[in-house]
Amino acid sequence: MSAVIKTPTPFIIKSVLIAALEEIEAEPIVVTEQVLITYKHQGGLQLGDILTNRTDYYGPQHFRLSKERWILRHDSSEMNGRITTLSATSKRYKKVGDFLQLVGKTYEKAYQEYLELLAEQERIRLENERKARVERTRVETIKKAKAQGYSVKEARKGSQIQLVLTRTV
Amino acid sequence: MPEQKIVITIGEEGEISAKTNGFKGESCLEALNDLLDLEGTVTSLKTTDEFRQKQTVSLTRTQENKRS
Repeated sequence: MSAVIKTPTPFIIKSVLIAALEEIEAEPIVVTEQVLITYKHQGGLQLGDILTNRTDYYGPQHFRLSKERWILRHDSSEMNGRITTLSATSKRYKKVGDFLQLVGKTYEKAYQEYLELLAEQERIRLENERKARVERTRVETIKKAKAQGYSVKEARKGSQIQLVLTRTV
Repeated sequence: MPEQKIVITIGEEGEISAKTNGFKGESCLEALNDLLDLEGTVTSLKTTDEFRQKQTVSLTRTQENKRS
């Protein structure tokens, strides 16, 4: 006997989850003190929860961080599942499973973009570090040379800096 | 009056190569050390054919990439 199982994509990174929810037009809202005044849920909302535009019997379906994963909290019966946001009234209600599958697929795409962003940020950081290192060496060398009585001529040779120091003794 | 000359090349990664001319004996190394704090950073040192006569030396220093 054999079996194939599939586990849902773990939603770990908040910004990636929000990007994914925005992509699928789930209109994510991060719960703040102000949001708590407007939105109610029979099971209670917490600061930091991420609301979606999907609602069920208990109120807006939302993600909550639990054990380092964002978990969708929803009415398991889906008896009263509906979308209340006016902009989404024309959309058909998706079952929770289908919705999570869509979020998962979009999350994975957003995660790849997130990794690319991190790589780009790291590349920029290293490049800035390199430029700063070269500039620091240049400035310190010129400063010391002048203090020791050298006259300094500076020239650029491609990506290299050439300092010609001369003094008479 | 005799002239002392040092040509320093700073590479794109911050590494340094330097060539001196007009120094007596090992004073060229002292002069470079005063300028570049060479201790422990020199990866190669090459004395030229004229080292003993004209006290000329060239060296290369590799910049350590330190991450904070």
